[in-house]
Amino acid sequence: MKDRLFGRFVAPAILAVAAGFFLLPLFAMLRFALQNIQVIDLRWSNIFEKWSLAPLWSAFSDDQFGRALTLSLQLAFGTGLVSLILLVPTIVWVHLRLPRARSAVEFLTILPYVIPAIGMVAGIMVIKPHARWFLNSDLSLIPFYVVLALPFTFRSIDTGLKAIDLRTLVEASRSLGFGWIPTIVRVIVPNLRSAILSCLFLTVAVVLGEYTIADVLLKRTFPAFMGEYRGSDPKGGYGLAILSLVVTTLIFMIIGFVSRPRSMRRPRTKGTT
Amino acid sequence: MASVFTNPLGEGGAAAKAAAPFTSRKSRSWFGLLPFLAFLVLFLIVPAVSVFAQAMRVENGGFGFTAMSEAFSGQNLDAFWFSIKFSAGAALVGTVLGTLLAYVAASITRPRWLRDAVTAFSGVAANMGGLPLAFAFLSLLGRQGLGTKLLNGIGVDLYSGDFGLGEVTGLVTVYSYFNIPLMLLVILPAIDGLKPSWREACSSLGGSGYTYWRRVGFPILTPSILGGFILLFANSFSAYATAAQLTDNSKIVPLRIGFFLGGDVSVGEDAIGFALAAWMIIIMAVAMIFYWVMRRRAERWQS
Repeated sequence: MKDRLFGRFVAPAILAVAAGFFLLPLFAMLRFALQNIQVIDLRWSNIFEKWSLAPLWSAFSDDQFGRALTLSLQLAFGTGLVSLILLVPTIVWVHLRLPRARSAVEFLTILPYVIPAIGMVAGIMVIKPHARWFLNSDLSLIPFYVVLALPFTFRSIDTGLKAIDLRTLVEASRSLGFGWIPTIVRVIVPNLRSAILSCLFLTVAVVLGEYTIADVLLKRTFPAFMGEYRGSDPKGGYGLAILSLVVTTLIFMIIGFVSRPRSMRRPRTKGTT
Repeated sequence: MASVFTNPLGEGGAAAKAAAPFTSRKSRSWFGLLPFLAFLVLFLIVPAVSVFAQAMRVENGGFGFTAMSEAFSGQNLDAFWFSIKFSAGAALVGTVLGTLLAYVAASITRPRWLRDAVTAFSGVAANMGGLPLAFAFLSLLGRQGLGTKLLNGIGVDLYSGDFGLGEVTGLVTVYSYFNIPLMLLVILPAIDGLKPSWREACSSLGGSGYTYWRRVGFPILTPSILGGFILLFANSFSAYATAAQLTDNSKIVPLRIGFFLGGDVSVGEDAIGFALAAWMIIIMAVAMIFYWVMRRRAERWQS
């Protein structure tokens, strides 16, 4: 009886309140950016009036916008590539040769939580005078973003590898005469397609969201531009924030999509020998 | 710690020698981790260690704790208190509401897509932070915000008390946006791991619903709840980007570090920024170790 009361009334009520809390801020931001009416003048009668994408177009036409977006895309591409080159061989190795080290390696990948972005950038400031040749380049952010993304990227590759029969694949490939590198590139990578895709998308999400390091080091990435542009044109800045939210949400939806069918399609290879 | 990786034969000499061919191959297999470890050392450990080195350096080149202790006095201490206060508040709110929401999500059976939708949305919201989150709440609960106006319409003046998005109340509200879903994701597997047979066993032994939660359910969830609380605390304590848009420069620890790093301070003073960062890393390390231990303990029941 009590359970039914909970299921019928309490649970939906809690869900409704939660939905309000999570959706109202997004709606308010959308309205502020795209509706050209001051909050004070807002009535129920004019709630559908004067919506326009104009603030977003004017943000796009700012000269800094293209440069900031290009830099962020380059960083995302570089971060994704370096993450894969670093992680795929390492995790394959751990699964095959050092299964007992897996939890130690996993522990290392949560170190970026221990040393948060603001702590990391403090360290970069210390090193900076000694490594200007490297740190002066905007692309020097890549290795640090690789580290920041580690907790996510490690997990996506790790679960991908858990889902395939790695040992059999590697033994087959090795006994047919492939070396280690061709085995990884031509046998393992094609089997990890969805995990690699999620890994790449996760790095894009991390790079598009990272503000701390870029802000302190005065690198003009997309999030840094967003913060700065908001100062001169709040509506445009909020519009850019909505855009980056939409892109990030799409990314997470795609990750959910690519990583699901595969595990359901997976044939049971284990236990048939 | 490093010796574990470089010298796995360090202990247990006799047993290791008896299986020489196997172990020698094994000791070589640690080399496969070298590129990964080198990368971590270069881009994470070296910056972290240099923060400590810089924080403890004194002018004549020796070591000292002046900056480290100064980071815990005056305005810096105020920043620590403020950070700890709102992070603990945000973690508490996130833990309670996240657990409640996870319990509701776990009990959803119809419609079937709803539970998937809740977890999928939590995955997105838990990773939301940075500028967009701050902008969203500024446009909802800022002084000219939509929500502020709606509340005014029903006679509630949000800003009559000491509410402010940069104050404890405001930061707790804003951080709940990612803390609640994060807690949900942390605790949901634990709640799913509560087997119906335990409940049946409890009631067939004469226990009420209260007895079940008091003696079975809650004790099993405790490590997950404590671990979640610590994770949320750490998460709130170290956040920079959202807070940077909501509050002024030097009120909370991450922003204060950023302020010192910005370089608008006199020569001797910049060590304090590094000392603050060093303390922050220490606090985060303690929190994450605690979280890790709790997670290990919680996983025992989730098979």
